[in-house]
Amino acid sequence: MDMTRRSFLEGLGQIGGTSLLLAGMEAFGMGIASAQTAPPPLQGGGKGKKVIILGAGVAGLTSAYELGRAGYDVTVIEARSFAGGRSQTARKGFQLTELGGETQTCQFDDGYYINHGPWRIPFHHRSTLHYVKQFGIEVELFNNDNDNSYIYTTQGKGPLARKPLRKMEVAADARGNAAEILAKVTQSGALDKQFGADDKALFLEYLKTEGYLEGKDYAYRGTEGRGWISKPGAGLHPGVPSKPYAFTDVLDSGAWRVLASVSEWDQQRTMFQPKGGMYMIPTGFVTKGGVGDKIRFSTVVEKIRQNGRTVDVSVVDGTGQRSVVSGDYCICTIPLSVLKSIDNGLSAPKQTAMNGAAYAPVGKIGLQMKRRFWEENHWIYGGHIYTDDMDIVSVSLPSTGWLGPKGVLLGYYQFFANAAKVSALTHAQRTDFALSFGEKVFPEYRDSFETSFSVAWHRVKYNLGGWAMWSDESRARDYPVLLEPDDRIYLAGEHLSYIGGWQAGGIESAWMQIAALHKRASVA
Amino acid sequence: MRLSLLAPALLLAAPALAAPDGASLFANNCSACHQAHGEGIEGAFPKLAGNAFVQGDPKAVAETLLNGRGGMPSFKDQLKDDELSAIISTVRSSWGNTAPPIPPKTFTAIRNGAVPVPAKPTPGH
Repeated sequence: MDMTRRSFLEGLGQIGGTSLLLAGMEAFGMGIASAQTAPPPLQGGGKGKKVIILGAGVAGLTSAYELGRAGYDVTVIEARSFAGGRSQTARKGFQLTELGGETQTCQFDDGYYINHGPWRIPFHHRSTLHYVKQFGIEVELFNNDNDNSYIYTTQGKGPLARKPLRKMEVAADARGNAAEILAKVTQSGALDKQFGADDKALFLEYLKTEGYLEGKDYAYRGTEGRGWISKPGAGLHPGVPSKPYAFTDVLDSGAWRVLASVSEWDQQRTMFQPKGGMYMIPTGFVTKGGVGDKIRFSTVVEKIRQNGRTVDVSVVDGTGQRSVVSGDYCICTIPLSVLKSIDNGLSAPKQTAMNGAAYAPVGKIGLQMKRRFWEENHWIYGGHIYTDDMDIVSVSLPSTGWLGPKGVLLGYYQFFANAAKVSALTHAQRTDFALSFGEKVFPEYRDSFETSFSVAWHRVKYNLGGWAMWSDESRARDYPVLLEPDDRIYLAGEHLSYIGGWQAGGIESAWMQIAALHKRASVA
Repeated sequence: MRLSLLAPALLLAAPALAAPDGASLFANNCSACHQAHGEGIEGAFPKLAGNAFVQGDPKAVAETLLNGRGGMPSFKDQLKDDELSAIISTVRSSWGNTAPPIPPKTFTAIRNGAVPVPAKPTPGH
């Protein structure tokens, strides 16, 4: 059975299938990522109809801004004393008390910060970037990949495990050796049934380019791109190229496991971050967007009811004063993890469907360092140190304050059971835990440390988790139920998107629901 | 040379001889949410002390530890069956709870019968 060239290539495509398919779909505007690029036109306006918005995260802020502009009378109820939801930035004086934990007050120097919530905006999140532009929020590039950063494996074997390896070295050696082997297999005639002579020649040419192969024997002997033993300079310094590691050592180390960490669609470059911290996004809505006047801060939802004509939300404010806020409609952006424990009055199918979402335990820690040793001594400017230690996952160097005196780096970013485990530590223990890993990669790490700020999102009141996750089963069974309004109540947030855990998911979910609300309000 | 090879082998073998300590495993993996004495936090994390589900059907309880539920993560990849058994058996007999232990084999049986879940990409944002 001869395979045609086409079926052979398509067969290969299926191995890495989904991402290729999704990229193709995006080209037709059908992708899962950020499908909408602008808010819906709310033609005819809101004519003063009253909408209560629960939550001043990006979904609530988007709803309030757009509905307000269209002439709706909006009131935002926010449990916290500030807007943004998870779009928070820990900076000097910022306080956080986890459930069952101590109160942390951020002690970073003025101007230094950690985005302990969302921290990067991919180029295709057109919705988030729409508001960046709308509100004139200053952004800078977020370096999401760095060839000169380190990989440090703890699970691997052999001489390259448990030592910092430059990513450029691992990437070059993995590609080079794999290409050499494939070239030799191809040359031996093993793929002659799949390839005609022309295709075979092209394929070998491709492998030569892809894997830096040399000579008639298609050998990988290293490449400039894996770095230098002695760098080229002036005069009589042509440089001494580095030598490849033995391929078995590279394989044994397991370092190749993390090479694809930022290759997915939502991790690709270009990426942005607001100057000063992610809280500049909600700040844009609050100040430039004028939403601030419409938010009732430090006001907690206790009960939600509706009667076919109005939605009535019982709240308690920061002074303990109770009141009822009534409106024609409600957009509820409270995370499902929190909403399901509120006396929400939603219909039985909605109650059941809410249980279909799982919320991710997530932990992050910001470490202020008194000098930027990763830049000064290691020439690493931004990007991530990757590891297979799932209690750490990555150490990320700041994409701000380049070449400045100090910096705040991300000491860990772990998920699920690993996050549950690390969150059982006190803040001081978490700090020591993070330093104990970092000092294996950077000898300067512990001595340079000054102060830290940590978060375990599953223990943060009003969030109870980093983001919503749907299994295939619950996505099919429960998710569509929650997209439909419960009479006059519309649910919105990242949890009701396929861009889960990203601000774009919250914004686009809000766009979808305000369009639905407006359509209904316009005929009512 | 022989000694230095022997020493790590002994170190590795030692924990296998001792039964996993349910109380310390609970403190490390569960107490961040369910709290040190299983008291939970109202509206956020279920109270385990006096909890009927926790003291009920062993299979349902074991499935919850293995697969997670709501805000609770799966512990399938982080903890072995004897460790899961030690944790839940401690929980079922502490803080006034009086249910019998759940043996490691209950967890093993669920794992063996489980439909394999496809690996997810690193869920970074």
